[in-house]
Amino acid sequence: MVLLSAPRWLRSRLTDRFWRVQEVLKYARHFRGRKNRCYKLAVRSVRRAFVKSTKARREKKRFLRALWITRIEAASLEHGLKYPAFISNLLKSQVELNRKMIADLAIYEPKTFKSLAALAQRRRQEGFLAALGDGKEPAGIFSRIVHHY
Amino acid sequence: VAKTSLTSPPWPEVKLPDPVEEAKYHAEVVQKVTKMIATGQYGRLFAVVHFASKQWKITSEDLIMMDNVLEAECGDRIRMEKVLLVGADDFTLIGRPLLGKDLVRVEATVIEKTESWPKINMRFWKRHNYQRKKIITNPQTVLRINTIEIFPCLS
Repeated sequence: MVLLSAPRWLRSRLTDRFWRVQEVLKYARHFRGRKNRCYKLAVRSVRRAFVKSTKARREKKRFLRALWITRIEAASLEHGLKYPAFISNLLKSQVELNRKMIADLAIYEPKTFKSLAALAQRRRQEGFLAALGDGKEPAGIFSRIVHHY
Repeated sequence: VAKTSLTSPPWPEVKLPDPVEEAKYHAEVVQKVTKMIATGQYGRLFAVVHFASKQWKITSEDLIMMDNVLEAECGDRIRMEKVLLVGADDFTLIGRPLLGKDLVRVEATVIEKTESWPKINMRFWKRHNYQRKKIITNPQTVLRINTIEIFPCLS
């Protein structure tokens, strides 16, 4: 005959509690204090660690870009240019290197960086000359520079 | 008339070199560099390549790992076309923004296509009984840069 419901002496007991606990504790082994040994404390720490790492992955991009910008600024100041002047003039001369590349070139290829700085400086001067025009004052305007005739 | 603080503008005066002389100088430099490339007087070349929406600074015998799938089998040779910069010890060729395909040739081979290490994505709101845990493995491709060649066709 077939028993349709399980008898009362058959119980469902948890047999792999050890491995479930180890799954969490393995991520906490390098923590400080009791949270690397005690499950109750480790669960909270491991959860916070995972959440922090997820958020940090998004902020790493911002942090690295700021680092590259600082390095490019330092390198361009060595060549006598400020960072906004350097970047804007490079973009105006249609050189589309991103900040990571320029920072790497500044570290490992100093001669190439010097040539890029020279290119930016030359484009800057050409921009100034184009903006100033002829150097004459517009006709019919009484300016500060009074001529004595 | 005496010189006051307002006779000349407060910014430093900028003078560009003579265009004719400059053109001569440029032609000379270009000729020198073409001769150097033609005779092969450069050591190791490095290039800045735009690939997989990122810029890479590569030399020959370099390994590159990209965080995406490439539709090429392992062992396929690939030519990278968007080259932004090529340089050696004595000269650099800067592209505006890209260098010509008849000037540079960058060859690479696909070595490995794997998945990344399992990254854990977890979201948690305190006091709201909300937590989600997701394990993400991104597909990755490893390329080895075989050669970077330049040809003497500058103008």
